[in-house]
Amino acid sequence: MIESILRATLLGLQLGVTFALVAAGLTLIFGMMDVINFAHGALYMLGGYFGYTIATQFGSFWAALVLAPIIVGVLGAAMEKFTLRPLYGRNPLYHILLTYGLAVMIQGVVLEVWGASSQQIPRPGQFTGSITVGPVTYPTYWLFVLVVSTVILTVIWYAIENSNLGILMRASAHDTEMVNALGIDVSKVFTGVFVFGAALAALAGVLLGATRSVNPGMGAGIIIEAFVIVVIGGLGSFKGAVYAALLIGLVTAYGALVAPTLTELFLFVLMAVVLLVRPSGLFGATEAA
Amino acid sequence: MKASEYLEELADGTVLDRAAAGSGSEVLSSSQRVGVVIIAAVLVVFAPIADATSPFWLNILTRILIFGLLAVSLDFIFGYAGLLSFGHAAMYGTGGYAAAWLISEVTTNALVVLPLSIVVGCGVAAFIGWFSVRARGIYFAMLTLAFAQVFYVVILTDLPAQVLGVETITGADDGLFGIARYGVFGIELGGGLPYFYLTFGLVLASFAVLVRVANSPFGRVLQAIRENEDRVEFIGYNVQRYKLIAFTISGGFAGLAGGLYVPFQSVASPGLLNWTVSGELIVMLLLGGLGTFWGPILGAGVVIFLEEQLAGFATWEIILGTVFVVVVIFAPRGIAGSLETLASDPRAAVERTKEALSSYRESIKR
Repeated sequence: MIESILRATLLGLQLGVTFALVAAGLTLIFGMMDVINFAHGALYMLGGYFGYTIATQFGSFWAALVLAPIIVGVLGAAMEKFTLRPLYGRNPLYHILLTYGLAVMIQGVVLEVWGASSQQIPRPGQFTGSITVGPVTYPTYWLFVLVVSTVILTVIWYAIENSNLGILMRASAHDTEMVNALGIDVSKVFTGVFVFGAALAALAGVLLGATRSVNPGMGAGIIIEAFVIVVIGGLGSFKGAVYAALLIGLVTAYGALVAPTLTELFLFVLMAVVLLVRPSGLFGATEAA
Repeated sequence: MKASEYLEELADGTVLDRAAAGSGSEVLSSSQRVGVVIIAAVLVVFAPIADATSPFWLNILTRILIFGLLAVSLDFIFGYAGLLSFGHAAMYGTGGYAAAWLISEVTTNALVVLPLSIVVGCGVAAFIGWFSVRARGIYFAMLTLAFAQVFYVVILTDLPAQVLGVETITGADDGLFGIARYGVFGIELGGGLPYFYLTFGLVLASFAVLVRVANSPFGRVLQAIRENEDRVEFIGYNVQRYKLIAFTISGGFAGLAGGLYVPFQSVASPGLLNWTVSGELIVMLLLGGLGTFWGPILGAGVVIFLEEQLAGFATWEIILGTVFVVVVIFAPRGIAGSLETLASDPRAAVERTKEALSSYRESIKR
């Protein structure tokens, strides 16, 4: 009993930090540009597929981990420049339709290029085994994912709070016009944040592609989880997204122990309860408008 | 609204958008009504011809009508009251499941089953709405999404049967299949043509009722809530109650659409309740033209037609996605909006297209 709980805890934390990588991009993009990016799950999926191709073609998981986020980041830049930028300042609802269309498009491209069957990214040689700590046996790959994601999230957190770039980002989100008037090209900041968010999602796609599978449904699957996380954490809040992602990761893992078929139900009930008690999410701005 | 906010809206064009959309004016002008009547008459006459020559097209037409009804029910709550529901699949699906269960267990009489589908749709909407109407904007959308997904999971895992300890109620992920079509007073409506007429009559009646409600004083209050919720509340209206009633009405029509769709396909599957249905519905709505009532039906028609036509190609999703992207960048008021501009002033339409193209070039150059 205690073993399965400990095991579920680690699985939950590992899922949580990777969810946080996806949700971080989503919440930062919303916070900066008021864009609800439906295509974010599709970018995560592209990360998984590029990772799969690179890892199997070059035989190196590490090349996949580095290259896939870069490729998806470049695609993200093109997406932002050619489709999203003309829509800034319009009602955010248009972004839903636009990014929904982009998600459908990417889904079509994935089916065309990689087919409908499910794939798996081979794990790196160093992390195929498992490790026994006390009574519990963990796959070493889980620990690897946990460490890598935690490091990345910590760096981002620190950067947002302390670096000049982070301050510029927060300032642009707070008052776009003012920052513009100070002579800073805010549209470059927007592009940067979008590219960064896309690359993070792709990174998560590679990391999870070696534990879960890489398949054409993974984008639509994760986007709902990511929305739940971002809404629970408070739209636009990075800190909120990280805490909520850990919460959702643990709920998913523990839920699988108690009632495997109902885990999804727990997620939505949790989201509904949080929204009813705190309408703007755990760390959102106080006003729910 | 504070003066600064108003200026901001003026600057980004939302005020102009609203003026162009004709806020406050009557829903469906008299010339548009004539158009609706003419199209309806054409459909009535051509349905038997379509049935004789290619039943496939009659089938598609019936589906377009059902999804059109669903899209109009969403337009009522979103286009008029300004509430973006991301959970319309829940009312649609439960309405459909209610019809499936009643048909296989009780009766195939449409006069019994369809009203109960509406009641179930209203009930589910009232439940979801009661929790959700206190939230605004994107948070309302997310709450409706969460509750709709709860219904989805409950039906997918057949939770009622697990709780009651019976073998099956919703059929879990297989759904309920082999659902017979309706009969009225012993007349079977099994064939393509009778079912088309049943659907057609009900969709037309629902359309008329929704237009009537939208033009009533109640509908005007909903429009006022969309424009400025706080101000309506200060005047003394109970905004929450108006929103809840509007959401419930909308849910009833979504339930009716479900009750029409399930016997038509003879299957009730959990996929009816999934969020992708709500997403596709919003696409139909925005593509067709928000807040016009006839636009969403057009949008449903275009999406279903494209899906059918392109389904043969492996790349149909790429084409469909591209169409959405192009429409939202260059024709934000949807097909209906573009057609209205074209009809009222063709020359201005050409000018506007040029402007849209040049402003697009400007915005990506920066």
